Amino acid sequence: MIEYLFAPFQLPYMERALLSLVVLGVAAGLIGMFVNLRGLEFISDGLTHAVFPGIVIGYVLGDQRGLMIGALIAAVTAATVLTWVAKRGTGHDAGIAVVLTATFSVGILVVSTSTNYVAELEALLFGRLLTVTDEQLVQNLVICTVAVIAVILTFRAQLFRAFDTAGATAAGYRVFALDLVLNVAIALVVVSASRTVGNLLVLAFLIIPAASARNLTHRLGALIPFAIVLAVGSSWFALVVSFDASITADLQLSPAGTVVLVMTLVYALTLLWRFGVLRLFTATTRRQEIARAGGRQ
Amino acid sequence: MSLFQMAYTEALLAGALAGLVGVFVVLRRRAFFTVALTHATFPGAVLATVLGIHVLVGTTGFALVLVAIMIAISRLSSQGSQVASGIVLTFGFALGAVLISATPSLPIRVESFLTGSILTVNSADLWGTGIVLLATVILVMVFLRPLVFSTFDPRGYRAAGYRGWPVETLVLLMITATVVTIMPVLGAILSIALVVAPALAAKAITGNVIRMLWVAPLLGAVSGVAGLLLSSLLGASAGAAIALTAAGVLILALGVSALYSRIARSRVKMVV
Repeated sequence: MIEYLFAPFQLPYMERALLSLVVLGVAAGLIGMFVNLRGLEFISDGLTHAVFPGIVIGYVLGDQRGLMIGALIAAVTAATVLTWVAKRGTGHDAGIAVVLTATFSVGILVVSTSTNYVAELEALLFGRLLTVTDEQLVQNLVICTVAVIAVILTFRAQLFRAFDTAGATAAGYRVFALDLVLNVAIALVVVSASRTVGNLLVLAFLIIPAASARNLTHRLGALIPFAIVLAVGSSWFALVVSFDASITADLQLSPAGTVVLVMTLVYALTLLWRFGVLRLFTATTRRQEIARAGGRQ
Repeated sequence: MSLFQMAYTEALLAGALAGLVGVFVVLRRRAFFTVALTHATFPGAVLATVLGIHVLVGTTGFALVLVAIMIAISRLSSQGSQVASGIVLTFGFALGAVLISATPSLPIRVESFLTGSILTVNSADLWGTGIVLLATVILVMVFLRPLVFSTFDPRGYRAAGYRGWPVETLVLLMITATVVTIMPVLGAILSIALVVAPALAAKAITGNVIRMLWVAPLLGAVSGVAGLLLSSLLGASAGAAIALTAAGVLILALGVSALYSRIARSRVKMVV
């Protein structure tokens, strides 16, 4: 059993794949908690769409290195614009959807003019986890570290702002700056993950582990560790399964896709834990409660 | 009809359909739901190809199933609707990706499901789009009053004694039919642009729901055809070009309406 869980990672490309996902899991687990607490799923989705053309144009102009530069420029720009738009108010869902689709279309337009359209699009959208190089791994680590440090440095303020915006403003915190820092951090994670798990699946890392952690604990201090453990654990398990499938059953499973499927399964299990198991308990205790209250509801 | 003639006709019909239904998406604030529905058609299309059933069956069925799951999860307290849709949609994309990688022998065209493949449209597709468009136009005309009343003033509508759910169901059915019909044109990710942008543009340049109902389809059809033309000039993705054209039309409309209101304001100042 132990052999089964560890053997695949003696291969260098599997080891790099796992390390990429560990880096991503840690960063997304931490930042994902704020995404979850503040309901930023829609904005995060927007950031993935908005970063896409930067990734594409950078890639087309300068191959792998250009990809990073283009993506980073797009990430910071998009984060700034989206923070500003979000500040101006809600009720613009339709307009925001158009803008984000338009930016995404620019990326698609550029990719479609290349001769290897389909393969490149698949790589951009679903990632190429198993062909990560050492250099890319280091780049991902650096970018994610910057994002994580930015959030850790502003951690207290971010928490305060997440729970009590008015109070945070009254206490003197610059809410716009905090939002900008968080959105840039999200955008950086999106950029770093786009090569490994692709533009469409990176959102899963930001949303699912944190949501699963919420189902398991109410304690704030436990949320991040839970999310990180779930993210890394799911990645590990999914890599082992997809490796095994390709070796024993000659079944090629998209590694990034498998990771997301496992994370979704874990989420479903945490839902059952939260709403299933509890119901077994409450069925008994409610009767007891009513009895204790002397028959009255 | 030649291949190109069919493609342009499809672009026209799909644009008109998307524009018409888009009016209700925009005015009833269903953009988020429609985005979710469009994204959810991707795994449905992949699954249909894997199972060997008709793509439309797959996209419709799966889209409805995923949306039902989304609504169910968001009903659970503490799981917000954003979390629910984020999880279900990324699950859908992952499922599609895994199915595609697991069936390399099947001709699943990833890019066509994600960004459209209008150039492979055949006469059956044209008939399909035409029929859905005709049916939608008839439904809108027949149920115009309840649709407009409940859109404009939902509380007043219910206070007047009507029930909200029949119209809501009608609108959701129209949106679903539209999303599934235009998916071959623009794909799962870009369709929302053709649904929402012409309607937003119509809203900007007309003040009037009734006028929106024919301006939006017109702008949608124009966006479809002009976008297709642009894509052939650039040698690029038709779906992306159409989406960008729709966005461009919206920007133009916003500019025109801003200019117009500025002129109107200055006229008032002169009178005073």
